[in-house]
Amino acid sequence: MAPKPGTYAILEAVQHEMRAQPHLTFWWQSSKPVAVSPMGQVIDLFAEFGDPRVPFGTAINEEWYIGAAAGAAMSGVPTIARTPSMTPVRAFDLVFNQIGKLRHMTGGQAHMPLVIWQDGAGRAAGPAGQHADAGQESLYAALPGVKVVVPADPYDAKGLMHASLRDPDPVIFFHYAEINGVRVDVPDEAYEVKIGEAITRQEGNDITIVGYGPAAVEINRAVEGLKEAGISAEIIDPRSLKPLPMDTILQSVRKTGRLLAVDHGHETLCGATEIIARCAIGVPGAKFARLAFPDAPPPGARRMIEWMRPDAPKIVEAARKLVAA
Amino acid sequence: MSDTLHVSEKSTVSNQERDKQPGMRRRTFLKTLGGVAAGVGIMSKIDLAHAANGWNAGALDQLSNEQLVDMYDKMLKSRWWEELLKDAWLAGEDDLYGYVHLSIGQEAVSIGAIAALNEDDFIASTHRGHAQLIAKGGDLNKMSAEIWFKSTGYNKGYGGSMHITDTSKGILGMNGIVGSSHILAAGAAYGIKVRGTQQVSVAFGGDGSVNQGWFYDALRNGALYKLPLIIIIENNGWQVSNPTENTNPLKDLATMAKGFEVPGYVVDGQDALAVYSVTKQAVERARNGEGPTLIEAKTYRFYDHAMFAGAKVGQFGAFGLPYRSDKDVHAWIANDPIEKFRATLIALGVLTNEQADEMVQKVKDEVLASFDYARQSPDPDEDAGLANVYAEGKVAASQFFA
Repeated sequence: MAPKPGTYAILEAVQHEMRAQPHLTFWWQSSKPVAVSPMGQVIDLFAEFGDPRVPFGTAINEEWYIGAAAGAAMSGVPTIARTPSMTPVRAFDLVFNQIGKLRHMTGGQAHMPLVIWQDGAGRAAGPAGQHADAGQESLYAALPGVKVVVPADPYDAKGLMHASLRDPDPVIFFHYAEINGVRVDVPDEAYEVKIGEAITRQEGNDITIVGYGPAAVEINRAVEGLKEAGISAEIIDPRSLKPLPMDTILQSVRKTGRLLAVDHGHETLCGATEIIARCAIGVPGAKFARLAFPDAPPPGARRMIEWMRPDAPKIVEAARKLVAA
Repeated sequence: MSDTLHVSEKSTVSNQERDKQPGMRRRTFLKTLGGVAAGVGIMSKIDLAHAANGWNAGALDQLSNEQLVDMYDKMLKSRWWEELLKDAWLAGEDDLYGYVHLSIGQEAVSIGAIAALNEDDFIASTHRGHAQLIAKGGDLNKMSAEIWFKSTGYNKGYGGSMHITDTSKGILGMNGIVGSSHILAAGAAYGIKVRGTQQVSVAFGGDGSVNQGWFYDALRNGALYKLPLIIIIENNGWQVSNPTENTNPLKDLATMAKGFEVPGYVVDGQDALAVYSVTKQAVERARNGEGPTLIEAKTYRFYDHAMFAGAKVGQFGAFGLPYRSDKDVHAWIANDPIEKFRATLIALGVLTNEQADEMVQKVKDEVLASFDYARQSPDPDEDAGLANVYAEGKVAASQFFA
């Protein structure tokens, strides 16, 4: 067991499941399914499984390979399609009108064992606009019939990928670039992180801080600052946006009476908004704050985007204000 | 074969090949009949003159009498299920609701094409796919019960007409989003490649569906990966109420196959035997790993795009619609694919006139019995809409209670 980079950890899960499931097919567009661990181990899905289970590549054509993945899944061939970070919603209609609805529309006849591995750029300085976005998981979470997971470190990423590939329902798996460098030990063997199960990263009494994916990475960076500010924070990562594991969060907010929800998506209708709404209904009298990216596209200039980005200092500041309120 | 061929051109070759085979009597007969049909007038009017001769003769060499009678039976089921459904709907006593798109007039495309398939082949249908379901062995009781939104329906009342599906028969389903059948069928074709079976996957689409990107995705990738895919365009001339020529610069949509060096054929969609033959050849190519085929069947719907404007109880066809001329409708009805097929079977001695009449009566009785089955079936549970969202369990109804 050793720390592994995010992409390697995820491919380890895919490799294991492709060995276990004889028809599982992997669609990729631009990033070949090859990764090397820090110890020099190589995973090369194309070399191991070859065409047609790992096609020799596909065009820059998300509607094709996600649509084809849906058709294959319906016909009994489980499929995973990895799609790059700049084009996450090209295939949105397929998820909205086909992938999420077909089981229901057909009265339970259509099965959809499909994983969309969605790479997420995250709020990095430089790429600007299309290549520095985040928060699309809340678009997908608004659709019935799909599950949405957003891991925040390579351990959860691997375990959630195992769970996603074993799930009979379609899963949108968001893999943000921010999580690749988070150092956590990742076992070599297969294991599942259950979809719809939150994890309490730190226990505390003054305030509950909730965030997933890149926001969870940033909350983790704020731990020292919170301690220095004398704040006893309970930190929860829901890991799944759909289903949203509210029990853990509600229990915590009942205890602390305060919720700070952090999100790298845009303020309006981001996942944090839903978490706050459900806590407001479930915990009368609690106090709330939301820290999200403004309702503006991400600018390229470092000075601009860093001012907007919900980072560790802003999290500490928001927590301080909420605890004082 | 990289050109878009009109089937009459192709048939020259296939007839030469088949001259060596038994079945001459049938073919010679059909050639004569085809000549008569081409002389009726409607075909030249809509530029279909190329479609009739030859191909249908080849079909007769390959189809047994039992198969021909089965095709006729399925055409009748499709015709009378829809025709009597229209009557029941307009009569109003059943209080039917939802969307229905009739394929009356287009039956020969579905029945002809699907007669060339095996039971385990896949089809993906359109919103106008009743005929395809019936051709692939769909059960009238379950179809009717779905129209009545009963728990015994194919989709247990979740889907209605536009989404009827029978995965046990390789029917990936009717689908309300135009063009989706192409991409889903192409995906199923890719799945066939992964599993290494000899199945094929057939996408049905209307003329409007070729203008969606998914059509292009399926055709291009079908050619790239040599998928066992057949795309059948039912060109009925209208994208809802917009004529096809307003939406696409090509006179023959099958010409699009040329761009990817895929065989493309135009066929008379009112001739079930011609559709069968051209599909049969495409199926053979697909099973041999030679990749996809695009088939355009020129046809016409005798009713409105959806529902029953211009239709009356007991009246065949819809008239007085603002976007098309009644003269055209009458001309197409004179070229009714089912009457044409019946005449062929009788002339061939496969059926007598009396036997054909008996079949019609039997089908009508079956259809009406299926309506009664639907009427007597139980409604779905009120909260069943919360189930089947995922493979297990029901979604919460917590939104009602805070």
